[in-house]
Amino acid sequence: MPISRSEAAQTLKDIESTQGRSASAYGYSRSSPHLILWGVIWVIGYGVPWLFPGRLPWIWLPLVVIGMLGSFAIGMTLRPKVADKSDPRFWQTFIAIFLFVWAQFAVLPKFDLLQAAVYFPILVALMYALLGIWTRGARMTVLGVAIGVLTLAGYFLLPQLLLPWMTIVGGGGLILGGLWLRRA
Amino acid sequence: MEQPDAIIHQPVRLKIMAALKALPPKEMLEFVRLKTIAGATEGNLGAHITHLEQAGYVKVEKDFAGKRPRTRVMLSKEGRRAFEDYVTYLREIIDTAGA
Repeated sequence: MPISRSEAAQTLKDIESTQGRSASAYGYSRSSPHLILWGVIWVIGYGVPWLFPGRLPWIWLPLVVIGMLGSFAIGMTLRPKVADKSDPRFWQTFIAIFLFVWAQFAVLPKFDLLQAAVYFPILVALMYALLGIWTRGARMTVLGVAIGVLTLAGYFLLPQLLLPWMTIVGGGGLILGGLWLRRA
Repeated sequence: MEQPDAIIHQPVRLKIMAALKALPPKEMLEFVRLKTIAGATEGNLGAHITHLEQAGYVKVEKDFAGKRPRTRVMLSKEGRRAFEDYVTYLREIIDTAGA
């Protein structure tokens, strides 16, 4: 039985909506392990200076290297079986953000420890929010906003407790966020 | 195509096909996730997947993730083509009626 124009339009709309949900769920399942990994890194990175003040001031250096290697390994494990043509704008966006941060550090006065402790989480929050907006992944945007708001709340309301705050709320939040995405 | 593909045209099967088409080629979707996306019951979804499998539109793989049994579904080459033809058919209806 042939179908009418309105039925065809409605069916196309349903298809688009289902594909959007499926693409988001696929993206979430790919992002989840990265969030959990970086959540653990945040817990260690903020937890060590909180629990052992003055010790291991260089802790973030190996942690960032481990995180990047871990993310690369996860990316390789979860890469699509058939190489897809990923949108180059994603990489261009990350390069632009990297150059912006570099320029910012070159121009602005040096950050103190507390400012540095919140600057990068805010940057991460921005990147998650942008990723969510670009990929229509609402949960990713929610996570980005939550990380940003909680980080700023810690900085302005509990500056003397910033390290435990970032350990528990920041690191723990990323881990929970990763689990939340996995269940989507 | 003068008639819609009857296998794909059924609403739950259409959702299954659309959900699988949104993935990169050869990627699989877990049954549990597909159930949420399609908004179908387990039995209903299973029956429709079997129908699509018999038509050669999807491939089903059953294995274990650790100790947990896992069923995953992917779109076959024929299924991908059939779905694309179906979407073209819908677009043609809209374009023809709008002309």
